Amino acid sequence: MSNSHLFLKPGFINVPLQNGVGRYVSQLQRVVLKFCKNNGSSRGMREFIESGLVNFAKENPGVVVYLKPRRHRSAVIKAEYLNGDEQWMSCRNSTQEEISKWLNLLVCQSKNHTGTRIRKLWHTDHPSIQGPWTPFTFRDPKLNLATFPNEELAKPKDSDVSNHERLIELFKKQKLGDLENRRGE
Amino acid sequence: MGTLLRQIIKNCEHLSRLSISNNLLKPGNSPLLALIATKRYSNVPTPYEVVDIKAEEKSNKEVINQVNQLVKDNNISRLFAVVHVTGKQFKITEGDVIVIEGYWPPTVGDKILLDKVLLAGSTDFTLIGRPIVQKGLVRVEATVIEKTLSHTKTHFRKKRRKQYMRINFFRIQQTYLRINKVCINGEVNNPPEVRGLETAIF
Repeated sequence: MSNSHLFLKPGFINVPLQNGVGRYVSQLQRVVLKFCKNNGSSRGMREFIESGLVNFAKENPGVVVYLKPRRHRSAVIKAEYLNGDEQWMSCRNSTQEEISKWLNLLVCQSKNHTGTRIRKLWHTDHPSIQGPWTPFTFRDPKLNLATFPNEELAKPKDSDVSNHERLIELFKKQKLGDLENRRGE
Repeated sequence: MGTLLRQIIKNCEHLSRLSISNNLLKPGNSPLLALIATKRYSNVPTPYEVVDIKAEEKSNKEVINQVNQLVKDNNISRLFAVVHVTGKQFKITEGDVIVIEGYWPPTVGDKILLDKVLLAGSTDFTLIGRPIVQKGLVRVEATVIEKTLSHTKTHFRKKRRKQYMRINFFRIQQTYLRINKVCINGEVNNPPEVRGLETAIF
């Protein structure tokens, strides 16, 4: 097991703007597809633009899609989210399917999650409804009226005879034995 | 074995001494105790026995009626529920966000019902399922708000002196769920005539 994840920025679940309480709002604002019109490394991106891009834009009317051709540079996806996050993703030599899959991921995300590790799979504003457990929950209410010092409660739970009492008994026995010995003499 | 049994019986006596004294319940050592209690399993029976079955039933009915009345009057506080989703259990209430790990088909914007409710409770009562509460009684609604990938996890293995070293990287799928509603529909201990179709979609 490696510990490399310890160097990631740890965090808790943080959902922007109470998303999903009323309705769900897609958090992806803008996507820029950068590619070269000639270079082979952009081939997958060009294919995606030809065949899949119109459908993608139709399915996600809330997302602005920009195309940015540039000569002799590799293909790149840049995403911008509603909370201001930007995510840059290299698509050099990736196929059409790969690109559509990554784009789908960007649409479903609410922010740039790279470099952070979530510490808990649960977030709540109401951590306890029946009250947190204390040592006094589920105890006999009689204890509320107990007066201290209390012999009954001071006893150890598992035995009826305390060590203290046992010692006293031993001591008494010893004394008796001593007396008998003396009489014998 | 003998000492163990003696200890258990002792503990039982102790328990019955401490437990809240109820007129219906008489503390006592069941003769079955010695037969059932084994070393491996802690299957010690509850250290009290029901004396009057009718009185017990009556008190149970009273409790159930009280809960039903609370539900009917809408006099209950915020509810929480323990739900079982993809092999994990979550304690949830309205407004919570939970993360489900691994492949899970629902996509963003989907509204779903969480069916396997193991326990539901408010400040005044708790419904405990055996193992799940009556289907359709507790309605837990949720919305999928995000589908993303976890941080990159490293799987590194090495065997010493064997020229063996492998390193793998992977990210697991995560689905964020917003809990919209936890509520009780219907009556406790009074299931409808036709059952099993509460959450079916036609």
